[in-house]
Amino acid sequence: MSRMPMTKVMEGNEAAAYGVKLSRVEVIAAYPITPQTELISTLASMIARGELKAEYIKVEGEHTALAATAAASAAGARAFTASAAQGIVYMEESIWMPPGMRLPVVMCIVNRAIAPLGGLRPDHNDSLLQRDTGWIQIYCENGQEVLDTIIQAYRIGEDKRVYLPVAPCYEGYVVSATATPVEIPDQEEVDDFLPPYKHEMYSLYPENPRSPPRLMRSIAEARYEVQQAMERAKKVIEEVDREYGERFGRYYDGMVEQYRCEDAEAVMVTMGSITGTARDVVDELREEGKKIGLVKLRVFRPFPTEEIQEIGKRVRAIGFVDRNTSYGAVAGCGIGCIETARALYPLDEHPLLLNYFVGLGGSDVTIPQLRHIAKRILKAAETGKPVKDVEWVELEKLEE
Amino acid sequence: MSLVEKFEEHYKEKLVRPGNGCCPGCGGSLAWRMLLEALGKNTVLYGGAPCAGCAMRVIKLPRFGFHFSFVGDGASGIAAAFKVKGREDITVFSSAGDGGVGDISFGKVSACAERNDNFIQCCIDNEAYMNTGIQKSGLTPYGAWTTTTPTGKKSKKKMIPMILAQHRIPYLATLSIAYPQDLMKKVRKAKEIRGFRYLHLVMPCPTGWRFPASKTVEVARLAVQTWIWPLYEVEKGILRLTMKPKQRPVEDYLRLQGRFRHLTEDEIAEIQRSVDEEKERLLERDGKNIWL
Repeated sequence: MSRMPMTKVMEGNEAAAYGVKLSRVEVIAAYPITPQTELISTLASMIARGELKAEYIKVEGEHTALAATAAASAAGARAFTASAAQGIVYMEESIWMPPGMRLPVVMCIVNRAIAPLGGLRPDHNDSLLQRDTGWIQIYCENGQEVLDTIIQAYRIGEDKRVYLPVAPCYEGYVVSATATPVEIPDQEEVDDFLPPYKHEMYSLYPENPRSPPRLMRSIAEARYEVQQAMERAKKVIEEVDREYGERFGRYYDGMVEQYRCEDAEAVMVTMGSITGTARDVVDELREEGKKIGLVKLRVFRPFPTEEIQEIGKRVRAIGFVDRNTSYGAVAGCGIGCIETARALYPLDEHPLLLNYFVGLGGSDVTIPQLRHIAKRILKAAETGKPVKDVEWVELEKLEE
Repeated sequence: MSLVEKFEEHYKEKLVRPGNGCCPGCGGSLAWRMLLEALGKNTVLYGGAPCAGCAMRVIKLPRFGFHFSFVGDGASGIAAAFKVKGREDITVFSSAGDGGVGDISFGKVSACAERNDNFIQCCIDNEAYMNTGIQKSGLTPYGAWTTTTPTGKKSKKKMIPMILAQHRIPYLATLSIAYPQDLMKKVRKAKEIRGFRYLHLVMPCPTGWRFPASKTVEVARLAVQTWIWPLYEVEKGILRLTMKPKQRPVEDYLRLQGRFRHLTEDEIAEIQRSVDEEKERLLERDGKNIWL
C-alpha cells in the first residue's frame, strides 16, 4: 500500500532532521552549536520517541563528533553529524579524515560567520574554508531542499564510484530557523531510493576484516583517486538528482540551476538562501524588459566547471555574489568569483566577470542590494565596461 | 620439524605476525603479545600512532585509526555501530600513548569515561613523546630528562588512573609487562565487563629512558618493586592492590636509567619520600571504596 507524502510547516533544522530520519541514519555523534542545535535536539527527540533507531553519541566537542561519525561509518553504520562556524574550525583535523579514508558520512554545515568578525548569523566562510579537503558541498536554498539533499547526499556519497563525504550546507537562521511548508516523502519510497549502506572497501568485523590498501600505494596516487572520485561525482550528482525528481517530483537541476537564462545577456550567480531573493529581483527586472538571468550554484565541490563555461559562452557579463571573504586573494575577489574565473579562462571570448560581496557576518541581503547588483551587471553587459570589478555592496551607495 | 616450520606453526596460532618495527628492547612487542593473547580473536583495534602501536603493524586483527590526537573517539563510534548492528560480542580495544591519553586527548578520554562507552581504553605509557624523539608529556615523571626538559622535568606525573577512577567507570587497572599473569588476568577481566574500562600500562623504553635494550623487563619489574608503578585495580570503586612487593629503594630503579643520571642525592631522597607517602595512602585504601 502506497502512502501519500505529508506536508508540514517546519523550520529548516527540523527539515534536516526529517532528512536524517528518512535516510535511516544509524549513528549520530554531535556537539551543540548555534544555529545547528535545533537539528540535533530534534534528532534526540526522534530517537527518544522511537521514531529513529539510531545510536546518538553526545560528544564533548566537534573534533570528536566527526571522528566518531567517521569511525562508525568505517564500522558499517550510516553516520551523521552537523556543525557550524567555530565548530567546523575546531574539527578541522577530523574534516580531512573521511575524504582520505573514503568514508561517505554526511555532515550538515549550518552556515554561520566565524568569530571574531562574525556573530551568530550566516555567511559561507565556514563551509568554503573546507573546499580543499575532499568533501562534496551542496548549498541549499530552503528547508525542502535541505531535506531532499540529505537523502540525496547518502546516495551520492555511498555510490562506489564516489565514496566521499557530503556536506549539505544551509544558512543559519535564514534557512535553519525559518518555517516553510516542507513535503515529507514517504519512508517506503525513500527506502526504495536509498538502499542500506554497505561499503565495499571496509569491514571491521573480525571474521572478515577488510580495509583499503592505502599503504600499498603512493600518496599521490591515493590523492589522485580522491580527485577522480570528485570528477565522477558530477555525473552521480546529476543522476541521483534526476532520479529523485522522477520519484518525488522535485528536481534541483543537479550541479547548477539556471533561472531565466535562455536569452540572458547578464547573469547573477548566487549560492544558498540568497537565490530565493535573487529570483524575485530577476522577475522584476525581466518585467522591465531587462535580459538578466540567475545561476544558482548548487554544488560548489566538485565545482561545475563545464556548466559555468557553457553559460560563459552565451552571456556578456557574469556577476558572482560572494557571501564570504578571502583576505588578500587575487584581485581582492571572493572565493566563488576566483573559481569562476578559472572556469572561464579557457574560453576564446570571455564575458566580463564582476564580484559582489554581500551578507558578510550575517547581515541581511536585501532586494535593493540585489537590484543594485543586477543593474550593475546589466550595465557592464551593455557598455562592455564595469563600474567596478569588485564591490563591497554594503559599503556602496546603491543605484536608484 | 625444522626450526622455520616450528616458527610458522607458532605464528599460525598467534595474533601477531613475526617481525616488527619497534626499537630493540621495546616493551611494546611484549605488551602487544600479552594483550592480544588475553583479548582473543573477536577483537577490533582502534588507535592512531602511539609508539608501540605504530611499530606493531603486524597484528592479525581489524584495525582502524586516524592520528594520535584521536584517542577513544573512534572507538566510541565503532562501539555505537556494533551496538546498532547487534554485534556487541566484539571487543573494541582502543590503544594510545601517554601523550594522547594524558595530554592532547585527555578531554576525549574523560568524555568516553563519562558516557561509559562500551570499549576498553588502554594507555601504553612510555612516559614521553617517544615517536617524535623523546619530548616531555604530562605523564613524564618528576626529574626525568627529555629533549624538552634538558635539566629534568620540574613537575610531577599526572595520575591518570586515579583521575579516571573518579569518573566512576566500572573497571580500571594498572599493568606491567614484568608481570604477565597479572596483566593478562586483568585484561581478561576487563573483557567480560561492559561499559568503559581503562588499562594503564607503563612500558619501559630503552631509547628514551636511556638503558640497555636487554634490561627492559628488569626496569619494568623494578618500577613495581620500588612502588613507583604500583599494580592495582579499581572495580566498582573498590581499590585492590594486586601486587604488594617488598619495597626496594627508588635509587635501584632510577640509577639504571640515563634519563635520571643528573639527579642529586637530595632529589632522589625527595622522590623516595613521595613514593613512600603514596604507598602508605594506597595501603590505607586497599580493599576500600575510593570513589570520593
